[in-house]
Formats: sequence, C-alpha cells, structure tokens
Amino acid sequence: MKKKGLGFYLKIYCKILAQDLKSKMSYRADFIISTIGMIFTNIAGFVSFWILFHNFSSINGWGYYEILFLYGFSLVSLTPVQCFFDNNWSLRAYVYSGDFIKYCFRPINLFFYYQSEIFDIKGLGQLAFGLGTIIYSWIKLGLGFSPLMLLKIIVFLITASLIMIALQNAAAATCFWINNSFYVLDLVTRFKDYAKYPVTIFSPVFRFIFTFIMPIAFIAYYPSLVILRPDAVPLLSWLSPLFGCLFFWLSYKFWMYGAMKYNGTGS
Amino acid sequence: MKIKKYLTLTRAGIIESLNFRLAILIMIAGNLLYLIVVYFLWKSIFASSETGVVNGMTFTDTLIYLVLATALFNFMEMYTVWDMGRNIQSGKIVLDLLKPMEYRSYLFWSYSGSFVTNFFFTVLPTFMVVIIVTHGAIPFGINLLFFAVSVILGVMINYSIDFIVGTICLYTESIWGINIMKQVIVLLLSGATVPIVFFPEPLKTIVYYLPFQSIYNAPLTLLLSRNPSYETVLIIIGTQLIWCIIITAFGKIFWKKSLRQITVNGG
Repeated sequence: MKKKGLGFYLKIYCKILAQDLKSKMSYRADFIISTIGMIFTNIAGFVSFWILFHNFSSINGWGYYEILFLYGFSLVSLTPVQCFFDNNWSLRAYVYSGDFIKYCFRPINLFFYYQSEIFDIKGLGQLAFGLGTIIYSWIKLGLGFSPLMLLKIIVFLITASLIMIALQNAAAATCFWINNSFYVLDLVTRFKDYAKYPVTIFSPVFRFIFTFIMPIAFIAYYPSLVILRPDAVPLLSWLSPLFGCLFFWLSYKFWMYGAMKYNGTGS
Repeated sequence: MKIKKYLTLTRAGIIESLNFRLAILIMIAGNLLYLIVVYFLWKSIFASSETGVVNGMTFTDTLIYLVLATALFNFMEMYTVWDMGRNIQSGKIVLDLLKPMEYRSYLFWSYSGSFVTNFFFTVLPTFMVVIIVTHGAIPFGINLLFFAVSVILGVMINYSIDFIVGTICLYTESIWGINIMKQVIVLLLSGATVPIVFFPEPLKTIVYYLPFQSIYNAPLTLLLSRNPSYETVLIIIGTQLIWCIIITAFGKIFWKKSLRQITVNGG
C-alpha cells in the first residue's frame, strides 16, 4: 500500500471536522453551556491565585504576574489535547462495547482516524482565556517584544502540548488492558492542574519525578523559563521540544500496540 | 420494616464498589499525589511569610484543612449529576421512577454504599496520614463528635445541591457543562481550593452567607478549633441545618415541578 501524504490526511481531517461540527450544531445549548463551564474553570484558577497573592507576596521567588504567565501558558498548551484528542475519553466505552472494531477496518491510520472523529469546540474558550492571561501578564511584566520571542513561545507552546497529549494517549490506551480505565484517565487529567506551579517548589526527589517520570513540569514550567528568565535557561528547557516529540511518539506506539492487540468482543 | 429497604441498597452499593478494586487503588494513589503537591505548594507559600501565621492559620493548619477538604470532596463526590443526566437522556429514569420509593431517596441510598467504602478507603487513610505527618496537630476530644455531625449535614447539603443541578439537566440536555460549573463554584466557594479565611474582605463575608461553605468549611473549622465555645458550635451547625432544610425543600419542589418536563424518546 502506498504511504499517504500529509495533504491527504489534512483533506480527510477537514471533511470529518465538518461532519462533526454539523452534528454538534444540533445541540447548541449544550455547546454554549459547556463553553461557559470551561471559562468558569479557568476563572476559578485565576481567582485562587488572586486570593493567594492577596495574602502572600511571592511563591518560591515567583511573583504574581510570573505565576499568571505560567497559568496562561499551561492553559494554552492544554488546548490542543482538549480540542483534538477528546475522543480519548470515549475510547474505553468503544473498546468495552466492541464498537472500536469499526475503526480497525478503515484504510487510513487508525490513530488518526479515531482522534479526528471528535473536535471539541469548547476548548476554544480556554484558548482565548489562556491567550488573554499570557498577554496580560506579558504586558505587566514588561517583557518587551521581538519576533524571535514570538517564535520561541509558539514553538514551546506546541512542544508543551505534545507532552499533555502524550500523557493522555498513554492513559487512554490502558483501557486495552484494564477494565475500568476511567480512573487512570481521570488521574492523569488531574496532573494538568499541577502543571501551573513552578517545579522548584518540590523537593529534589519529586522534582525528578515530575520531570522525567510524570513529565508535567514540561507543560508550563520548563518552556516558560525561556521567556520569563532568559538569562538562566536550564538545559532541560532547550531539550523540551525533543522530549515533547519523544513522549508523543512513545505514547503513539503504546496506543497503537494496544489497538493492534485488540480483537473485539465477538459480536 | 421501613429502614430495611434502604439498607439493602446500601449493601448493594458496598458490593458494587468493592468490585472495582483497581479503581480504589488508583484513587488512593491520586490522593497521595495531591497531598504531596499541596504539601510542597503551601510549604513554599508559607516560606515567603515572615511570621509563619497568616490569618490565624499556620502551615500545619492549612495543610490539614486542604487535605481533609479534598478527602471530604472525594467522599461526597457521587457523580449524581452525571447519573441523573445520563438516565434522563437514555430514558432509564422511567424504571427508577417506578420503584416503590421516592427517586430522590432511591438515588441517595444507592450511593450510601460507596459512602461506606469511601470512608474506609479514602477518608480514614488520609486522616491517618495527616495525623502522622503533622505529629498529632488535630485536637482529639469533643470536636470529633461535632465534626461527624457536621460532615453528615455537609453530605446532605452537597447531595441536595447535586440533585438540584441534576434536575436542571432535564431542561438543558447538557451534562458536562452544568456539572463542571457546579463543581467549580462549589470547590472554590466552599474553601476546598483556598481556605476561606484567606479570602479578601468583601468576598469573605459574601461567601459566609452562601450555602457552599457549609459543605467543607464548617466541619473543618469545627475539627481544627481547639476549644470552641458552645455558641460557635451552635451557630455553625445551626447554619448548616437551616441551609440543609432550605435546599432540600427547594430541591424537592423543583423536582416535582420538573418531572412533568420529562420526555423520553421511544419505548
């Protein structure tokens, strides 16, 4: 079979996306309420930092606006996983009921086809809020602006989101082996709430764990350093694009390994 | 016997939740992780304050407060809104309405089994860990009794709020959005994210007039106060009782009115 190019997949994605949006439009109230709910969550995170910094001047040497920058960064980098990979949440149900087998018969990449089926629009509310937070704290911090900085932040936002996507893929794929994998996915999703804190608050042992074993420090902390503390960027920050790709590739392989092993329910 | 039919539901619930042993293990792991994050976060926050006592709370107090708030959250979280929403959408609710028991109590008592297992698998272990980590900073005495009474009232208030939110699903056909909004509001305004004493002034007074602080803040305040006067105890538990009655009554009326709204497609 000839290998299909990127253009082919892009075209297919647009077609599937259009179908999905059409079906979403028939539940307009749900869309509006979900978007409001999403923004609610983000505002709550904002408010809790606001309350914290009302009582304390800094967290481990990080000021209010720097923490807000981290928060905004984590929100934006978590958007792709919300928008493009939301179908991971249904994987368990598909595998359990046997419906997953229908994806295995398509002549395109299984992983691609499965993930492209759902586009979660409510993630866009989070994107807007996150971008607003980044810009707000950027101005307040007086970071200045140059095209190079813009390029840097875009590259590092993408790599940061690859990490979260990788974590979620791996967590979702556990359903090929265990029955009640909802809790695994739920646990991993909770990780992202911890991504908004600077990893230096932890003791060395946990700093190691959150960097290499559960790589949540790459979701906001290491990439943000490139913008926030340009004088003292650790090596890990520069390596984070590499780690992003590596983790994503590993999770893809793991997901596909599980999917290939799947033999349906027999019905 | 009237109580017997309820206890049968409790028993079924216990057996059902014991079936998901892996889920329990993962839940404990998740709680431990959360405990670690909260510990280090607040440790570094308090490190930046000179006195070590902020708003009358020390680091240990804050830690106990937040960790037990999360334990209580896991204890009370019954996914009521999800279950009601799904049952309404799938039409299964019709079967539950036919049961020789009020739907409200049927649902509550079928969750009561997981209250028992959750108590032994999350609340008790967390309590133990907290006692060990803080070297017995929790005062032992009559306050444990007040705490227990207060928690029971908290459970009832939480359930009633959930039930009202679940009833709203009858109208909106949106579960995720409604549920996330409720969760965010409850977690923030009940003091589970940041203890209420840290809130800046106008907000703090407003929050004390809302029902949400009765869920987590009230029992935890009772637990942490060393020598509460009977007046304070009476005020706190009295407030809970009043809210409990108001919200339960409202929920019952709202449910009765809304029941006419149910449209179940197909038979």
